[in-house]
Amino acid sequence: MTIPKAYRKPYILAVALAVLALGTAIVLVAEPVRDLLASRVNPEPYDIERMVLLYATLPRLSMAFLAGAALAASGAILQQVLRNPLASPTTLGIDAGARLAIAVTTLFIPSLIGFGRDIVALTGSALSTLLVFFLVRRRGFSALAIVLAGLVIGLYCGAASALLVLLKDRILASLFIWGSGSLSQQSWDPFLSLLGRLALAVIPVLLIIRPLSLLDLDDDSVRALGLPVKKLRVAAVAIAAALSAFVTSAVGVIGFIGLVAPVIARLSGARRFGERLWWSTVMGGCLLLLTDATLQILAGVTAEFVPTGAVTAVIGSPLLLLLLPRLKVAARPSATATPQTAQAFSVSTVVIVGTLGFLLLVGLAVLAGRGPYGEWQISSLAQLDYVITWRLPRIVAAASAGALLGTAGLILQRVTGNEMASPEVLGVSAGAILAVTLALFVFGALDVFWRDVAGMAGGIGVLGLLVTLGSRSSISPEKVLLGGVALSALIDAVVGVLSATGDPRAFLLLGWMSGTTGGTTVAGALAAGLAAAVLISVSVLPSRWLAILPLGDSPARAVGLSLGRSRFLLLFLAAVLTAAATPIIGPLTFVGLMAPHIVQAAGIRRPLACVFGSAIAGAGVMTVADWVARTAAYPVQLPTGLVAAMVGAPFLMILLNRRVATA
Amino acid sequence: MDRRQFVASVAALPFLQQRPRSNPPLRVASMDWALAETMIALGHDPIAIVAAADWNRYVVEPPLPRGVADLGLHPEINFELLATLAPDLILTSPFVQDLEPVLQRIAPVQRISIFEKSAVPLAQPREVTRVLGDSLGRTDAARSLLATADQAFDGYRQRVRALHPLPVLLVNFIDARHVRVYGGAGLYQNVLDRIGITNAWTRETNYWGYSTVGIETLATDTDLRLIAFEPVPPDAQSTLARSPLWSHLPFVRAGHVSVLPSVLMFGAIPSALRFARLLVGHLERLSR
Repeated sequence: MTIPKAYRKPYILAVALAVLALGTAIVLVAEPVRDLLASRVNPEPYDIERMVLLYATLPRLSMAFLAGAALAASGAILQQVLRNPLASPTTLGIDAGARLAIAVTTLFIPSLIGFGRDIVALTGSALSTLLVFFLVRRRGFSALAIVLAGLVIGLYCGAASALLVLLKDRILASLFIWGSGSLSQQSWDPFLSLLGRLALAVIPVLLIIRPLSLLDLDDDSVRALGLPVKKLRVAAVAIAAALSAFVTSAVGVIGFIGLVAPVIARLSGARRFGERLWWSTVMGGCLLLLTDATLQILAGVTAEFVPTGAVTAVIGSPLLLLLLPRLKVAARPSATATPQTAQAFSVSTVVIVGTLGFLLLVGLAVLAGRGPYGEWQISSLAQLDYVITWRLPRIVAAASAGALLGTAGLILQRVTGNEMASPEVLGVSAGAILAVTLALFVFGALDVFWRDVAGMAGGIGVLGLLVTLGSRSSISPEKVLLGGVALSALIDAVVGVLSATGDPRAFLLLGWMSGTTGGTTVAGALAAGLAAAVLISVSVLPSRWLAILPLGDSPARAVGLSLGRSRFLLLFLAAVLTAAATPIIGPLTFVGLMAPHIVQAAGIRRPLACVFGSAIAGAGVMTVADWVARTAAYPVQLPTGLVAAMVGAPFLMILLNRRVATA
Repeated sequence: MDRRQFVASVAALPFLQQRPRSNPPLRVASMDWALAETMIALGHDPIAIVAAADWNRYVVEPPLPRGVADLGLHPEINFELLATLAPDLILTSPFVQDLEPVLQRIAPVQRISIFEKSAVPLAQPREVTRVLGDSLGRTDAARSLLATADQAFDGYRQRVRALHPLPVLLVNFIDARHVRVYGGAGLYQNVLDRIGITNAWTRETNYWGYSTVGIETLATDTDLRLIAFEPVPPDAQSTLARSPLWSHLPFVRAGHVSVLPSVLMFGAIPSALRFARLLVGHLERLSR
């Protein structure tokens, strides 16, 4: 699929988008404007149409363009400075920081919200960005470290606010709307204050365009040109973070514009960074304006409240999927080369020490608990039957899911060479959520069995898609990741819309998505354990590939590895592992991201040892998470999947902070 | 007596002492607040409910009796605790029916639908009261609760007639830009219909009787009284005051904006009575 060179000029697409967006906006305001002009002659005392036009519709459309443009600029800068086509304001944890700040202040210091919701959000974004910088300060502010730290902080803040929402859903209903970015306006104040804030960022952005364009070269060449890479990176990330934080604080989270607009700009032929930044900004503004104007025209049709931020993701995800085949993922200088440390534990050491440690954890988790009055107790023999019925099964199930996801995460990160890869980017979990959502809305409430059947079916559907994709051509891991991200964003958006409307079924969905283990039966636990044992044994087989693939394409070919086939088989294996874990723990797969990093930070390098290590680390994290979930807020039980992120993320942050310091 | 039974009987002590009867009353756990509030109104307290910690903030009355165990939240019921309490019966609603396979391992489960559309106001809360009365062996208590409620509602209806109130717009401010507005088949609408007050929100709502909308959607030139339920977000008032769209609205200019305490939206007869009492009381204070 090629486009004649003559048409590959970014302004053609930009003009087309602009015409479309403006046209839609004009359709929206034409009638009120005409009436407004007509009523100049004898204005009524309170003309609703006029007031709505002047103080709701027009500020809203202006806000849409401004927010879209700023987010796209932020995304374009981030993708350039972090050299990662997946980078966007959301992946750096900027939104999640703001969300957590709003959740915490709403619950504990509501008077601060009265002082200014936008100030609270900005503070949250600033704190999370500072934390990212703090964590990567000893790693030379490397692009990879920034992305990873942002991801972890995003996960942590996201999980923390999701927990707060589950605990206090009524007070935090505002977070749902905020999280799916409603552009609804009742005055020009928010637009004007956003405009003022963004204006502050214009000069810094103009100043960093030139140095940033040089980043198309690798770090060493850039340094040879005399550019202070570290300082540049910190400055660029800070500016991008500020742009997106300003928007988020004004209207909430607008998904996907920051990711999709720069990608479209690049595809439409913007070569140099300066061009990409400019055209992304224009296209981002037009895209959001188009989306919002269309939404306002359609708003009369449905009684349901549909926030714009969620819709951008619903439209943007398929767009990204469509564009994927055309996206040239440039062979950039490999960013995954990590310093090899001298220590390399043997497979048997890993297995023995890991298993012993894990069993110790399980023992503690089974025995230590809280009684009916919340008192801490160690289970006695008299409680054996009760421990076996209610406690042991959930621990076994959680640990099995952790082992499955840990292994899946390891395989994915090795195959794609991307440390951000975690099982959910395969889209398997997204497929499962989509199927459960559909089933929930078509059939009403679901019992556990049918919910799991629906989840499995959704996961298998995505697997099938992967198989068709994979059998066609040699599969590009970058594209699989982008595809997975697009699918996940789509799902987030669907769930976001449901929650924002306040539909009670959204809470059922959120409950399931947060990873519950409470009612696991003995049979269910046995099945989970068996699935983990079998699938992890299978995962040991291709460990040689796991050693070779990260070295890059040419070395792999040199040793006679069929790249396409081995990659496809490994991706498929990771997908099967994920699909098996979904009915056990739901679609939350944070642990799959964390386990391989824990293993790496522990100094384990050999592929086979890594497979076992990741499985054990995953199981361990989930065991601890399950115990914390059961006891921390007794009698209230927390969802294990969310707690896993809360337990695992800080651990990962400490490791990140320490790792290179000792090397 | 093993330790588990001992713990169960200790936990049950307050209830056993409360009602010395020939037949010990059923030990009932409720997964739904509407069913729990109806039980309390029928004089048969549940031994355990979900989210007991939030009861006093959202349900408020009837107050939750002391000693009712907290089973935690919907998505993560504390099954260990529930099993320890050894209930005779567990009440669920269609909303939480996905829990039933697990609950059935602990005790028999009865599912009662608290929300159905119907032509007659409050038909479903009445039905819930009757069904619960029969299940708990308190048929007479159910009958007298309904009779008392009817009498009360008739009284409110008469008082409303004397007031000639403006149509009301019932909302919850979600943040400074959005409200949830009530109508449709919800409990509030049912009560309005029963006591003869007009709802100013005539547009469509979702199945459960509410809609989330941007505040600009409330713009209208008809006079009405806006009733916001607590809690009102702290930034709502100051932000709205700066919005010309809001401050020029006829009902805002006339000062027809009130705040009422929280009433359980998914409630039954007790919540309906609470809403009617709060609303009519408030309107009467205003007209004085």
